[in-house]
Amino acid sequence: MQHTYAKRVTHMENSAIRELLKLAEQPHIISFAGGLPAPELFPLSEIRESYAQVLGAGDPSVLQYGTTEGYLPLREEISDQMRSKGIPSEADNIFLTNGSQQGLDLIAKLFLDPGDVVLLQNPSYLGAIQTFRSYQANFATIPTNAAGIDDIALEVSIKLNRPKLIYLAPTYQNPTGTTLTIEERKAVLRVASKYGVPIIEDDPYGELRYEGSALPAIRSFSTEDEVIYLGTFSKTLAPGLRLGWIVAGKSLIAKLVVAKQGTDLHTSTLLQRATHYYLNHFDANQHIETIRQAYKVRRDLMLSELQENFSNQAIWTKPTGGMFIWLTLPEKYDTVNLLPSVLTGNVAYVPGAHFFTDEGSCSSMRLNFSNPTPLQIQQGIKLLATILTL
Amino acid sequence: MKLHIDRSGKTPLYLQIRSQIRQLILANDLPPGFRLPPERKLATTLGVNRSTVVNAYHELVADGLIQPHVGKGTIVSPPQPVGPSHDRFTNANDSEALGAPVQPISWQNFYTRQSERLHNPVLASILDEIGEEDQISFALGSPAGEYYPLQEFSQISQEVMRPGNWQAFEYGPTIGHYPLRQYIADWLSQRGIRTQAQTILITSGSQQGLDLLTKVFLEPGDYIVMEEPSFLGAIGVFKASGAHILTVPLDQEGLRIDVLEQILARHRPKFIYTLPTFQNPSGITTSLARRQQLLKLAYQYHVPIVEDDPYSELFYGNQPFPSLKSLDEYGHVIYLGTFSKILFPGLRLGWCVAPTPVLEQLSLAKQHVDLHTSTTAQWVMTEFCKRGLLDEHLLIVRKQYKCQRDAMVYALKEFAPQGLSWTVPEGGYYLWCELPPGMKAAALLTKAAEKKVTFVPGNAFYVNSGGKDRIRLCFCRHSETTIREGIYRLCEAITEMLNQSQTKGTTNRPRFTEPLV
Repeated sequence: MQHTYAKRVTHMENSAIRELLKLAEQPHIISFAGGLPAPELFPLSEIRESYAQVLGAGDPSVLQYGTTEGYLPLREEISDQMRSKGIPSEADNIFLTNGSQQGLDLIAKLFLDPGDVVLLQNPSYLGAIQTFRSYQANFATIPTNAAGIDDIALEVSIKLNRPKLIYLAPTYQNPTGTTLTIEERKAVLRVASKYGVPIIEDDPYGELRYEGSALPAIRSFSTEDEVIYLGTFSKTLAPGLRLGWIVAGKSLIAKLVVAKQGTDLHTSTLLQRATHYYLNHFDANQHIETIRQAYKVRRDLMLSELQENFSNQAIWTKPTGGMFIWLTLPEKYDTVNLLPSVLTGNVAYVPGAHFFTDEGSCSSMRLNFSNPTPLQIQQGIKLLATILTL
Repeated sequence: MKLHIDRSGKTPLYLQIRSQIRQLILANDLPPGFRLPPERKLATTLGVNRSTVVNAYHELVADGLIQPHVGKGTIVSPPQPVGPSHDRFTNANDSEALGAPVQPISWQNFYTRQSERLHNPVLASILDEIGEEDQISFALGSPAGEYYPLQEFSQISQEVMRPGNWQAFEYGPTIGHYPLRQYIADWLSQRGIRTQAQTILITSGSQQGLDLLTKVFLEPGDYIVMEEPSFLGAIGVFKASGAHILTVPLDQEGLRIDVLEQILARHRPKFIYTLPTFQNPSGITTSLARRQQLLKLAYQYHVPIVEDDPYSELFYGNQPFPSLKSLDEYGHVIYLGTFSKILFPGLRLGWCVAPTPVLEQLSLAKQHVDLHTSTTAQWVMTEFCKRGLLDEHLLIVRKQYKCQRDAMVYALKEFAPQGLSWTVPEGGYYLWCELPPGMKAAALLTKAAEKKVTFVPGNAFYVNSGGKDRIRLCFCRHSETTIREGIYRLCEAITEMLNQSQTKGTTNRPRFTEPLV
């Protein structure tokens, strides 16, 4: 039968992420496309032991319904971790989600009516753009100048666009890998607070730091709960578990509880119990250190390969953490059009246009360095340069 | 036209009048063309303010059920059937073209932000009570923890998490882990549902299926149809969408087809939501004849059916009737299933079977919502099922839950005071009880809490007012001994309230609206 969908369905796009998940599965392709951590670094035996302990204790409550906000001891553990990073929080401020994507969706559900404006970095995380779009949001770009975020222009933009939300990934941003300075973080918060616009601070990559010291989260400066902080175990543990969290004011947590109840009641009890066990019995920081070292090698390698193969015509970001490098070719190139031939040559990237809210032509691309092996990075970047005949 | 006004209740008088006249019109007791009494006259008859009747009539006009005519008074409208190819979004223009005046719409229902409509205190408090071990809860619709296959599950998770099997921890496709979908397809095929892995979406529990359907199909102002009483989680999510919920009463054979037909003759609902087997909360199973009539109406009026089927495997007598999905010849049924009730709920794993184009839309919506359901959970569940452990488990719980149901019924027979009645369902999770005349479930809840026993008050399962004298008791969670103790406590609470009201001569008023604290 012919179905009549809601209007919002026309705003739900089949995304590059989805197609890319398929692409990345083909073994002959060297993929710089996915946003994937390196699977060989998953702490598999530790997770396995955690499940064994949790399931082996003979307590059926690990497979029982749980509360919507999440397993209390895990929320306590996460709030401890958040405090150690300078983000003041109690267990009451922590809300567990099925990965931070669900956090974005629930927040969008609570805040966005059709036509509302979200102010964000352009380019931004594709999954966030699409979720906001599925609620029929409009977009405005956070203005920047040579020094970074332009707080005067930002204030004008807020007055002009009256955004419902500001969305930011301040640390090792996806897709560019860039990081906001302390001054930029404070400036955004100051302007947003002045006009009462909540900030979503998306921080999936903060732990993946390869040099320098950690910058404080925007939420750590926040006194009025204006900042909604999103964290995830996808990069530090494993993405297939689907576990993330939100740090927010208690009144917003209460709203989130109601929203998530209608969505899926709560996040898997077993997963929360096992993760709690893992955090309590294994050295999560040591594991993160292992990932950092491995990814740093890969980043350095990709940067030197780019230097060797692309230095004449292209420019690229030099991220101090995260998973991505943003490569920009000369303007005459269109990375959307180029992708099919690059794929034929067995290399994959994500065309930069997908990360903009107004998908025009774009000569940039996102390259992931965390998932491919060092050898693949060496071969793949050379191959890419050859195919593009730069 | 006989109306009954309940002045003690919390429902505003005008809504009571509206809902009763609506029922009369839909049951055809007030046929099209029937002239309603003038507002002033009805107000005098009922002993209410004229404005109360005016407001009730306004709502009915907005519902499209009645129409004021100058000189003639207020007349019951004829059904306005719409053709199958009709585009909903041009409704207003069409009715203008037909010469009928454009109906005013109760916009206040739509202007509220979705977040303000999201409210489900009952569900929240049911989930909150988990872990309060000193009380006996018949509220939470949970399986019995003592039968959870912890050991087998532990063993299998160890095997799945073997060294090098990183795949079980990676991002996966939104639609779900293929081997699990394949298993479910085969399993459903054995139950008469012809389906393939390609048309199955794995969801984070069937609640997510409901949420995705809402997201894909419903906008504020849309109509949907559901049984009343019905699953409270579905009521919550549909209400939050801002859709109009049209309710169809149940009788012993299930959904009242005659009322449904009246509704379909007047409205174009986006879908009919039904829980035809061992319904939550009533325990009623829709008869085979009604199932066929329901499908026929869906074909005739071109309306999709959402069949929610968490309980059909939990039968304690004969195998239940075939699902609507298995009887559906023209792809009108969207089917929701879950592991939560037949196995355990803590993994949050369910599934949705739908025609390919719908499934693609649902997957797309799910991608934006949470990318995909936990890969790890899906891998472990796949192995568990493939080893035949799900089917083994079903044999155990069918036997046990039957005993528990019988224990609850037996205890009620022994302890129940005069006036308390209950259903005996052939399967599922719940006994649906009617309290002695005059007793309100909300008041009883307070009394029962003192005795450390809980249940869900009936009004939670009603879209409109109703169910205040009903309670739902889940018999699956506790052992037979605990059930007996719980029923004893509950009946004691009821008896005490009966005695109280006799001595005081007044009925207890609900003291709080959020039932379970």
